[in-house]
Amino acid sequence: MSLLLDRAPIPNHAAEGSACRLVTRRQVMARRLTGALIVIIPIAWALHRALPDGTDLVNRGGLPLLAALFGDVVHPSLEPTFLGLVAHAAGVTLAFAAVGTAGALVIGVLGGLVLSDVAWSHRPPWPVRVVRLLLRLLLVAVRSVHELVWALLFVSVLGLDPLVAILAIVLPFGAQTAQVFAEMFDGVPPGPLRALRSAGSRPTSALAYTLLPQSAPLLLSYAFYRFECAVRSTVLLGVVGIGGLGQELVVSLQSRNWEEVWTLVGAILLLSAVVDLWSTQLRTGMAVVSCTEWSGGHEQRVAGGPEEEHAARATGRSRSRWAHWTAWVVIPGLMVAWLASDVSLAGLTSPRTRQLTGRLLNDLWPPALPPGGWPALSSAVLDTLAMAVLAMAVAVAITLLMAPFATTPRRGTSADHIPLAPRVLRGLLWWLARAILLVLRSVPPTVWAVVALLVLFPGVLPGALALGLYTGGVLGRLVAEAWESVDTRARDALRHAGLRGGTATLIATVPPSTHQLLTYTLYRFEICVRETAVVGIVGAAGLGRLLAENLAVFRFPVVTALLAASFAVSAATEVIGRRLRRAMRP
Amino acid sequence: MSPPTPVVRMSGVDRRFGGHQALDGVDLTVHAGERVALLGASGAGKSTLLSMLNGSLMASEGVLEVFGQVLADLSPSALRKLQCRIGTVGQRLDLIEQVRVLHNVSAGRLGAWSAPRALVSLIRSRADDEVRSALHSVGMDWALHERTERLSGGERQRVAIARLLVQQPDLILADEPVSSLDPARAAETLELLQAPARGSTLIISLHQPELARQYCTRAVGLREGRLVFDVPTAELDDARLTCLYTLQ
Repeated sequence: MSLLLDRAPIPNHAAEGSACRLVTRRQVMARRLTGALIVIIPIAWALHRALPDGTDLVNRGGLPLLAALFGDVVHPSLEPTFLGLVAHAAGVTLAFAAVGTAGALVIGVLGGLVLSDVAWSHRPPWPVRVVRLLLRLLLVAVRSVHELVWALLFVSVLGLDPLVAILAIVLPFGAQTAQVFAEMFDGVPPGPLRALRSAGSRPTSALAYTLLPQSAPLLLSYAFYRFECAVRSTVLLGVVGIGGLGQELVVSLQSRNWEEVWTLVGAILLLSAVVDLWSTQLRTGMAVVSCTEWSGGHEQRVAGGPEEEHAARATGRSRSRWAHWTAWVVIPGLMVAWLASDVSLAGLTSPRTRQLTGRLLNDLWPPALPPGGWPALSSAVLDTLAMAVLAMAVAVAITLLMAPFATTPRRGTSADHIPLAPRVLRGLLWWLARAILLVLRSVPPTVWAVVALLVLFPGVLPGALALGLYTGGVLGRLVAEAWESVDTRARDALRHAGLRGGTATLIATVPPSTHQLLTYTLYRFEICVRETAVVGIVGAAGLGRLLAENLAVFRFPVVTALLAASFAVSAATEVIGRRLRRAMRP
Repeated sequence: MSPPTPVVRMSGVDRRFGGHQALDGVDLTVHAGERVALLGASGAGKSTLLSMLNGSLMASEGVLEVFGQVLADLSPSALRKLQCRIGTVGQRLDLIEQVRVLHNVSAGRLGAWSAPRALVSLIRSRADDEVRSALHSVGMDWALHERTERLSGGERQRVAIARLLVQQPDLILADEPVSSLDPARAAETLELLQAPARGSTLIISLHQPELARQYCTRAVGLREGRLVFDVPTAELDDARLTCLYTLQ
């Protein structure tokens, strides 16, 4: 009550004149209507495209297969020979992911330094500016092609060599990392660097002395986030046949050996869970939440009052042990990974590779339209967009269902005692939601697509469903983690003012949480468009399917045209997404 | 016998930022061993002048010489060599938060180090006698291996001065080093600055005339980028100060 009585009189801005920008109710309603239409129209259009009139969607012949698949969930294959094979495949997956991530980080640091503004004390000379522009364009082009597509291209030059998996990770991940590292370097406070430069330090010495220590926590934690992504991508690359858990999974799925499938799924889940936990512990200890923080170069703010800040610092100290032990493990681990992955760089410079690369580049140019011409290409582009829209709708539905339970509950500043039974129930729901999200994002979208294609005829729908399940797992976790950082002081203030707990939470935390959900959804949509290639390759629909079909018959000029179309769609989505996210910034 | 070369000689120096004239025809000569206080309201051009003296900014017009060398004529490597003789301490101190005190103090010698040597120095945690002696001079022996981010404001100031001691500059530029400090802490900081400044030249921007009178031999007044007086601090009177700080 005192809050209301003691407050200062609110100035009447409307009466004071035009200095204040007034927002009318009509404008608010118009904004809401526009927002709703931006969501509803694309979903309605995508549904119309995915569910054409008069065609069968469900493949009834596949239903027994699906029943057999889920019937064996409790009978995974535990044969010692097969378990040995799984352990070896898991080791190969880890080794490919570790070496690929290390290579991407080397590209990331060097590229990040060249692209960042802080590394150049003054405006660089024009030749450097031209090189930077070309490098920026090259990196955008490289990361717009999915790692699976890179792998398919490399296979046609290098054959089924472990180098294919490493390069397919190194190139797109390196391009992405360079962009993120450049932003991180530019986000470092420039004062110490300037101070050392003005005291006569060499540019390189000053950079080493200031940029590295200042950005080390962000660099290290991002490196682990990338490693986590690399493990998932390496499983995905199994489709191409270059080894690891992914390849074993594809073989078992194709031979319909469901018992083996479940063992492999279990192994993938275990591996993902361990890497997830390790990466999360490191990132939380270093005050960085998730991938969207990287794009903005932001560190996680500690929400709440001084007590929560103190607790966060204490947690940070205990978790710095993770960073300490990780630092000791990384170099020997990388050496073991290099040996275990059995990679030889000789393949890169062999005369045969040079000859095949020359032939591939020759074959790729000039681009040509796919059979069916422009209508076929534009139809594939529209299918790709429809698939991405529906996949995001599925992912958001999963997120809304799971993320509220997957968010670690935080106590308010008021010392409220929650009874044991609700606390246990809340804990169980938290574990269940986290486990479901882990399963959804750990199983590669290609596998979800193969499962969906057992019961649905090829088209937009199975692809959207597969991608939606996978993206739901990723988005749900991102949003849950982001919701944990929502400021709870407003909620506590409302509780002190006498509101019920649920109502206070609803009023105080839903608006900022909605904003985070929308931002992350747009961010993931950009990635989702790129990932439609993955489900397309196993036969869903869109540009990915056309790409796989034309690669299979070595129609390389068409592949070039399809890659260019994918690049154009990705770039357009990224530009529009960035504008929308900027418009939504509070 | 020719007169000694001045440490700083500015002749008709202008500095513009777009349409804003930060410095306007400044003439100033400072000789070795002098203690010069720069006085003036915020935005008068004190920080710009100090940034030009350490080579971070170049003059738009006029001639600026430091240690007898025209800054605008120097190659990047010659400028760097000259900058090794100039120590700057700012209001924000610009220490590297994430490293230990030892490394921040060692950074004073970075001008003489290559990038690999700088990296090795970051990794190893051994301090040589010079670093220990500098920390001893500012009463921070105990903090050698302490993380910089854990230090208090006063302790951080001492570390910044220890860095200057290790650099051993011939010219010290201090940009409002005491503007956010209470009187006791301000006096303590200026006392500490006397150690690295012994045998060197000191140019310091201040807002407190009484500190200028106590610690400097000469006062230079700036208003809207123009030099309005240049007098011994004994002649710093209210009329001159009023002229500096009166709002127009």
